Amino acid sequence: MTEERSEEYTRTGPSISCTDTHICVNNLTKIFKKDKSETVVLKDFSLDIRKGELITIVGPSGCGKTTILRLIAGLIEPTSGAVLINGKPCTAPGADRGMVFQDFALFPWRSVRKNVEFGLEIAGIPKEERRERAERYIIRAGLEKFIDSRVHELSGGMKQRVGIARALVGHPDVILMDEPFGSLDAQTRNIMQTQLLKILDKTDQTIVFITHSVDEAVFLSDRIVVLTKRPASIKEIIDIPWPRPRDRADPGFTALRKKILAELEEENVMEN
Amino acid sequence: MVSWTLNIKYDENNRYHRFLRTVVITVISLTIFIMVWWMISVIADIPAIPTPLKTWNALVDLYLHGDMVTSISLGQYIFSSLSSFLKGVLLAFVISVPLGLVLGYSKFMRDFSNPVIELLRPIAPIAWAPIFVLALGSSLGAIMVVFIGVFFPLLTNVIFGVRKIDPNWIDAAKTLGASQMKIFYKVMIPAATPYIMNGVKVGLGIGWMCIVAAELYRFDGALPGIGFYLAQQAQNFNWPSAYAGLVVIGILGLLTIGVADYIHRILSKRMGMDV
Repeated sequence: MTEERSEEYTRTGPSISCTDTHICVNNLTKIFKKDKSETVVLKDFSLDIRKGELITIVGPSGCGKTTILRLIAGLIEPTSGAVLINGKPCTAPGADRGMVFQDFALFPWRSVRKNVEFGLEIAGIPKEERRERAERYIIRAGLEKFIDSRVHELSGGMKQRVGIARALVGHPDVILMDEPFGSLDAQTRNIMQTQLLKILDKTDQTIVFITHSVDEAVFLSDRIVVLTKRPASIKEIIDIPWPRPRDRADPGFTALRKKILAELEEENVMEN
Repeated sequence: MVSWTLNIKYDENNRYHRFLRTVVITVISLTIFIMVWWMISVIADIPAIPTPLKTWNALVDLYLHGDMVTSISLGQYIFSSLSSFLKGVLLAFVISVPLGLVLGYSKFMRDFSNPVIELLRPIAPIAWAPIFVLALGSSLGAIMVVFIGVFFPLLTNVIFGVRKIDPNWIDAAKTLGASQMKIFYKVMIPAATPYIMNGVKVGLGIGWMCIVAAELYRFDGALPGIGFYLAQQAQNFNWPSAYAGLVVIGILGLLTIGVADYIHRILSKRMGMDV
């Protein structure tokens, strides 16, 4: 860590002061090797994430968005560089970083209640407190009628609400969302975005949200990180100070969406 | 021309209709089987193919009076067979399941044990019967033959089950703070359970064939099983009684596999997984 403290929260490039930020992604390089072929997914990627913000990362498909998230989660190790959380390097997954998966990753042999309780069970929380806490989050996710249902009986949108409740119930500092609504139809997706904001309303967690939907990013984010094609670097970071809930028909909303789409289009054209 | 139609139309979604359909088809199927058997025995006209009626009489006789030669009752024969069978299955279960979980989990252990497993697996379990029975006695020998019969299909299924585990479940458990040990207990074992039950189902079928084969070689004083009765009757050219033994073996096998199938189905449903 250098002594100089940055006025700005976010910069690209090496030697970032991480003291003001919650998650500091510092100079990450990730190379996937198979036999003799190497894929450089990330090269010297840096990003600072502020405490309590909802930051979305958008980029052309296959650019390494998910890799960034999995590195922050500690599910994979970087080839070089580090992820610092509150200034401390993180190397392994932990209950301080909850994750929501694109294909839900719910446990089919457990009921809705038992899925939400999983993390609390692991933490060794007594049964009654576990039940009470899980119930609170299930109610918040609007699933009280399905509390004892099996996961396969639920619709996609409901499944992901279970996934979100499961991630939130242990009060992690960070929620990592990997295209959480990517496998839902457009209508359910819009409903889920509104519901997510409601569920998150009372929390002060830092949320890192991966999406390929620009519309979703503009609707939800405090900041949007636009990535280039692989190996991903930051093309632009956009602050969105607008209050929520946002109106998708608002001229500012559509203008911003157009701008980001054009940027992504550029990346795709360059690839072809 | 007289034409008539049944007023009841078959409805696939009505469970009573489905049940009735199964009953009717089963009865017709078995009736045809018995008629064909009868025809063959009449046409061939040799003692080694008794008619279904003669077999039925021998079966009733066995049920009422037991084995006239050894004075062992049908119940004792069945008890002996089932007891060896269940012991062999249990032994295979307690060894295959933990071993399969480890081999499914660790690529090194899998690669390490694969040559041995692949070498032993193609050997028909029945081929072990003379060795085990003569070396270990009829009781333990029979258990070991069943063990071999159940062991490999069960092991293969457990390994398959572990390898089919969605890596996302493991990742989800990790991000919820689970240690390797907790992942093993709370994710891998429940996720593999339907596959384990599928292995048990397959294993039971093979194990049941093994028990009868093993009992054909009975040489010591332990209580013999139904396979012994069959072999003894055949050696004495008492064909209807030998066939009665076959019928008992068939029915017991059907029941055993039926029970395993039922448990497997309930478990898969409860766990929300189709295997």
